[in-house]
Parts: sequence; C-alpha cells; structure tokens
Amino acid sequence: MCVQGADESRAEPWETAAVLVPAAQNGDALAMDELLALVTPYVTRLCRPIAPHDAADAVQESLLAVFKGLRGLRDPRAFYAWVRTVTVREAVRVARRTGAEEPADPVDLARLGGLRAGTDGELSADVRDALARLPVRHRAVLVLRELEGLDEAAVAEHLGVARGTVKSRLHRARTSFRKAWSR
Amino acid sequence: MSVDPVRRLRVLAEGLHAGLYAEEFLPLSYDRVWAIAADLQTELPYLLPFLREFRVPPGDADRKEAVAVGRSGLSETFEVRLSPGWCLMQSRRVVGGMAAVPEAGGTRFAVLGATRPAALRPVQWLYGHLLGERRGRAFLRRVAERAAVR
Repeated sequence: MCVQGADESRAEPWETAAVLVPAAQNGDALAMDELLALVTPYVTRLCRPIAPHDAADAVQESLLAVFKGLRGLRDPRAFYAWVRTVTVREAVRVARRTGAEEPADPVDLARLGGLRAGTDGELSADVRDALARLPVRHRAVLVLRELEGLDEAAVAEHLGVARGTVKSRLHRARTSFRKAWSR
Repeated sequence: MSVDPVRRLRVLAEGLHAGLYAEEFLPLSYDRVWAIAADLQTELPYLLPFLREFRVPPGDADRKEAVAVGRSGLSETFEVRLSPGWCLMQSRRVVGGMAAVPEAGGTRFAVLGATRPAALRPVQWLYGHLLGERRGRAFLRRVAERAAVR
C-alpha cells in the first residue's frame, strides 16, 4: 500500500503509525496529533472519490470514528487497514446521507479507464467527476478494487456485502464502460 | 485537503475521551481572539482560575516547555505546541488545547481539557458529564471577555 502525504525520507507511514498508535492509545495527545497529521492525507484520498460532494464532512466523520475507536485497536501494525475499513464505511454513510444516487453517465464512465492515482496520490479531477456520477455503492467498490488494489473477497469484507455482490457491481460498471467505449 | 484547527481539536477530544470540550462562535475578529489565546503567559492565569502562573520561554518557537504553577503552589511542566489557530499543551497528567478559525466575520473557537493516566478515566467521564460542558463554556466566555477589552 502506498500512503501519500508523508515525507519519503522518513520511515514508512505504517511503521511510524505503529510507534505512535500505542502512545496515542495511552492518552499521549502529542502522539495522537502526529498520528492525525500522518493519516489525514490517506483518509482524504479515500473519501474524495466516494463522497466527492461532501469530502470535508466525510474526512471529519472518518477521523472522528477512527480516533474514537483507536483504543480498541489491538495490533498497531494493522492501523492503516483498520483506518481504511472505518473510512470507507463513514464515507459511504456521508455520501448516502446527502449524495444523489444517480446512475452513471456512460460518457463519464468511459473516463474510468484512467482510474489511477496521480503522482500526488489524488485522482484527477475528471476521474473524480466521473466517479461522482456513479451510485455510491459502485464508487466504494471501484475505489477499493481499482485504487486500493484489493481483491474481491477483501472488498466484500470491507463493505460487509457478499462476494457475489461485489462481483456483480464491478461487472455492471465495466459493462457500462464497454458500451461507452464502443460508441 | 487539511483539517482545520477546530476540527482537528474535535478529533483529539474524541480520541482522548476528553472530559472538557466546548466550541463556540465568537463575534470577534480572529486576530483579536487568537492574540489572547496565543499569549499563554499573560492570559492563561486569567482564563483558568486555578492557575497562578504559566511561565513560557520567550521566542517564536512552535515547540516550547512551559511551567504551570497552581494556586496551591504545585508546579507542573508542560510541552507546548503553538502555531496560528492551534495550541496543544501536555503534562504527565493533563492535556489542554485551544483552536480557532475565522468564520463569517467572527471566530470559531474551541477548548479541550483531558486527564492522561488510565486510572483517571472514570473520573474524567464523570467530570465530563457533570462539569465539563459548563467549565468549557465559562472558559470560552472569559476568552471573549479578554479579547473584547484587549
């Protein structure tokens, strides 16, 4: 996993997090603040494509949920995977609260061929726009599968749905993509 | 996208299960309000009635070590992180924080107080339910009063 936003000359983010998490769990506010600064770019990167209209709220809700539940995290090295689970759940919840569940525009879906993060770890604006037009459940699947590189079983586990559901959602998104591409 | 200082303090309050957290819109300019909050040595003893002195080394460093002296005479060393709109202070036993952002012609201001040792968590929970909100509002009121006359 590549986590953007950290200084590359320093330790990998998950190694830094593994040191900060136990201190933060013990009530060290300075360590907690460092952990917050470390993980915010990653949370933002996940929230933007899933909740593009409400990204700031999704980031805030995700961070609140992450730090509220931090004491319950047993393995500090699992921090980022746990953050991803919590963030996707919160971002989907925020997007569903306010976002329009409109079907994707096939022309915009055609752009999903470029669904990869740029060098700064952010999706390009046109890919984000295309994602914004997908139903929330498809956005979450695509972000986890294409951007985070998770397999279908892991995506299903993250979203709390059956593996077959993930497969069918991906199939529908890709079918729309092919139709748009052949025009 | 970065999280603004008030949102950042709210996340820390959640993570620390802080007994004291309050946030309010103050109809005063950000510069005026933050001038009070950032002047720790002069203003903290006015803002916290149990504090007699708060000694901060001079200079603009964003990381400092300060000494708090209570009315009882007991002193405690704090690590302080101070930057525009943000102040986080931590001793072995206590955490304190303030944050501010400009908002609609005024300032959104937040204050946090938490205890550190795990043994004090039940006390903090009880304090939070009984007094935390009221103490937090009182702190914000004193900030506004000090900023209005500055």
